[in-house]
Amino acid sequence: MADSASTVPPAAAGVHARGAGTDDGPSAAPGGPWGQRAMTALFLGPAAVMLVVWLVYPTLKTFVRSFYGRDGSDWVGLENYRALFTTDTLQTAIQNNAIWVGVVPALVTSIGLIFAVLTERVRWGVAFKIAVFMPMAISLFAAGVIWHIMYTQDPGQGAVNAAINVVDDTFSSAGVLTSAQGSTPELAGTPERGLVLKSSVRPGETALLGLTGIPPAQVPEGARQAQAPTPRPGAITGTTWRDFKPGGGRPGVVEPQELGLEGVTVQLRDASGRAVRTIKSGEGGAFSFEGVKAGSYRPAVGPETFQKPFAGVSWLGPKLITPAVMIAYIWVWAGFAMVVIAAGLAAISREVLEAARTDGATEWQVFRRVTAPMLAPVLSVVFITMLINVLKVFDIVLSVAPGSSQDDANVIALAMWRTSFGGVNDFGLGSAIAVFLFLLVIPVLALNVRRFKRET
Amino acid sequence: MAQVAFEEISKVYPDGTSAVRSLSFEVDDGEFMVLVGPSGCGKTTALRMVAGLEEISSGTLRIGERVINDTPSRDRDIAMVFQSYALYPHLSVYENIAFGLRLKKVPKDEIHRRVQEAARVLDLEAFLRRKPRALSGGQRQRVAMGRAIVRQPQAFLMDEPLSNLDAKLRVQMRAEIARLQQDLGVTTIYVTHDQIEAMTMGDRVAVMRKGELQQVASPQELYDHPVNLFVGGFIGSPAMNMLEGTLERSNGSVAARLGSQSISLDSGLLDARPDLAAFEGRPIVIGIRPEDLEDAAIVGEVPAGRLLQGTVELREALGSEIMVHLGVDAPVASTVEVAELAEDAGVPTPAGGTPDRATRIVGRFSPRSRVKPGDETQVAVDTQALHFFDPETGLGIYS
Repeated sequence: MADSASTVPPAAAGVHARGAGTDDGPSAAPGGPWGQRAMTALFLGPAAVMLVVWLVYPTLKTFVRSFYGRDGSDWVGLENYRALFTTDTLQTAIQNNAIWVGVVPALVTSIGLIFAVLTERVRWGVAFKIAVFMPMAISLFAAGVIWHIMYTQDPGQGAVNAAINVVDDTFSSAGVLTSAQGSTPELAGTPERGLVLKSSVRPGETALLGLTGIPPAQVPEGARQAQAPTPRPGAITGTTWRDFKPGGGRPGVVEPQELGLEGVTVQLRDASGRAVRTIKSGEGGAFSFEGVKAGSYRPAVGPETFQKPFAGVSWLGPKLITPAVMIAYIWVWAGFAMVVIAAGLAAISREVLEAARTDGATEWQVFRRVTAPMLAPVLSVVFITMLINVLKVFDIVLSVAPGSSQDDANVIALAMWRTSFGGVNDFGLGSAIAVFLFLLVIPVLALNVRRFKRET
Repeated sequence: MAQVAFEEISKVYPDGTSAVRSLSFEVDDGEFMVLVGPSGCGKTTALRMVAGLEEISSGTLRIGERVINDTPSRDRDIAMVFQSYALYPHLSVYENIAFGLRLKKVPKDEIHRRVQEAARVLDLEAFLRRKPRALSGGQRQRVAMGRAIVRQPQAFLMDEPLSNLDAKLRVQMRAEIARLQQDLGVTTIYVTHDQIEAMTMGDRVAVMRKGELQQVASPQELYDHPVNLFVGGFIGSPAMNMLEGTLERSNGSVAARLGSQSISLDSGLLDARPDLAAFEGRPIVIGIRPEDLEDAAIVGEVPAGRLLQGTVELREALGSEIMVHLGVDAPVASTVEVAELAEDAGVPTPAGGTPDRATRIVGRFSPRSRVKPGDETQVAVDTQALHFFDPETGLGIYS
């Protein structure tokens, strides 16, 4: 306080001299040195009072409080700090914070750099920049809520899993059945490995693949009556059908009211058990392998028939929760990084880049040897800003991670809040965590201040 | 080292602006070619097309035998010196000069040798470890030159490299670059808007106007036989005086009538330029170089037919000579080219022209002349050195 007061008077006096309309220069403020001091106090006073009440006092109080127990009545010395480094959930928090610090600032900076460089020279670059910058307009908490909903496991509700589902479907679609078994001992096996006919079949013969144990809901609507296959020379024909009708029916025989199963994957396996041909059954469950070479084969219901549908990635479960929160956080901050870096890029003289090109540099060499080094100061601003932000990360973790995963998603600031206010009500330990976080931020702040000094 | 050939080169920007129109000329191997013209004439665009920094809309550009229209800048084997020098601010002088060699993966000791050699030639040895921001303008300019010469390219391209220097340094660097180019013998295209640089440095000079090539010739040829009004007015400082007159024949001799005055022309002149006969009785633009005007009081005996009457308006003593601005009663040539040149020189409209206001002409007088502002004076005209231009086409009449 005293220190800052002694550095300010000239400016304050200058303001006063103008305000009073005197023309004898800023150094000769009316009232002499005491008048200057009064003026300084008047200007600095309100801000200083607020700083003391809401910042300095709470900081000191927190520091003192961290040496007392949960209700603040008994002195426990360093007990809270011991707990800080021995409690499991708090260790997870410290570990997670370390991961955040190691991963997020670097990713945000590099993604911002990539976006800035790419949008610089494309049509609609500005539109793209606006889109990427938009998330900065909403609070981190709200962004967290949005991502929480998007991360819902059911692909029918969560946008992320729905998107994965779309991709997944193009490569492998869910089978028509979830489970079934052979209707006779003749067709044996498991859904995972396929159900194989025990006796082999030669071209010109037929195969009956009767299945039971199919939930009625899985028999597609509009399924047709199954028909017994008719043999044809040179081909193996057959039927896959639900070998069951109200009342039971005879296993292994195609009967009226028994429905054909369409879309079942049918394989023709050779003696070694390798599938040589694969087709899907058509209407009424009929299938036929045409032009089969002479030999004996064993038809089988392929495991693809029982392929389970995509169930969704458990983003909010204990394993993926930290990466999930990080993705949401990067989504928000990439825009900030991009805009700052783009401003830095715009300040680079085009002629310098052209000089590099005429000097024989490829576009990548121009970027690597000229653009990137010239951007270094801007990149370090973004990186350090992100470092400080990430150390303090709190609200987005709280809003993305459901209560059940918060122990796994824990970070230091969240741990402090949960310990103090989130039901535990241990203000002693909470204060200790706060002091620890404060100590962590100090070196980075010092780094930043030193950089400011160097620049000015 | 190679020849650079422009064949019908044109540049049209996507918005339809045509910056360079059908430019054709050749720069010989080892030649120092200066592209000169007022701002916006397309000279820089032409240079940037050679550098590969600007796409060529149509035409063929060759360096040596190679057509380089679609060759990326990095593979053209040219070195460019920029107006802003475009030094790499994060690299030391040494690294700035070595940059192109490092990209080419030249062996380290070879790089060292070449950089040291360039530094020695350019007197930069003491600054090799400094960053560009710690250098003066002239030193930065030399680093930019160094960056170009270590590459030993097919051609140097220089885009107004001296325009950011102060006048004294500019004169010094002008000589230095010209000497360096001569020593290295590298084909050079040098863009400038300064016609003095063009005249002093170039083996040949190409004058451009509004994207079109006007004349390519040696500096002296350009000066003595400007192909048109534009070149005549652009080359030379102070600029050629352009007056509008009519050729009149009386008693067998021909005189040029300039307003109320008249200068009689030698018959030899008419014999040498028979085309002038066609302009008898018609308006013609008469160009008089300032050095072809002299204070009549100094010259001594001057026939009356070679005198112009004028009022001294301004006297600029340069020591070795005096620039005298005179108001004469003669109409100024009012052609598009003259207006354009005046605009480029920063004069809003050509001075005078109306009968009540005298046209201002500039004469380069001997320092012994005693004329002072306000004097009515007689000026001797060297009628042998007059230039004549067709006011319709702007073309010079030399035959």
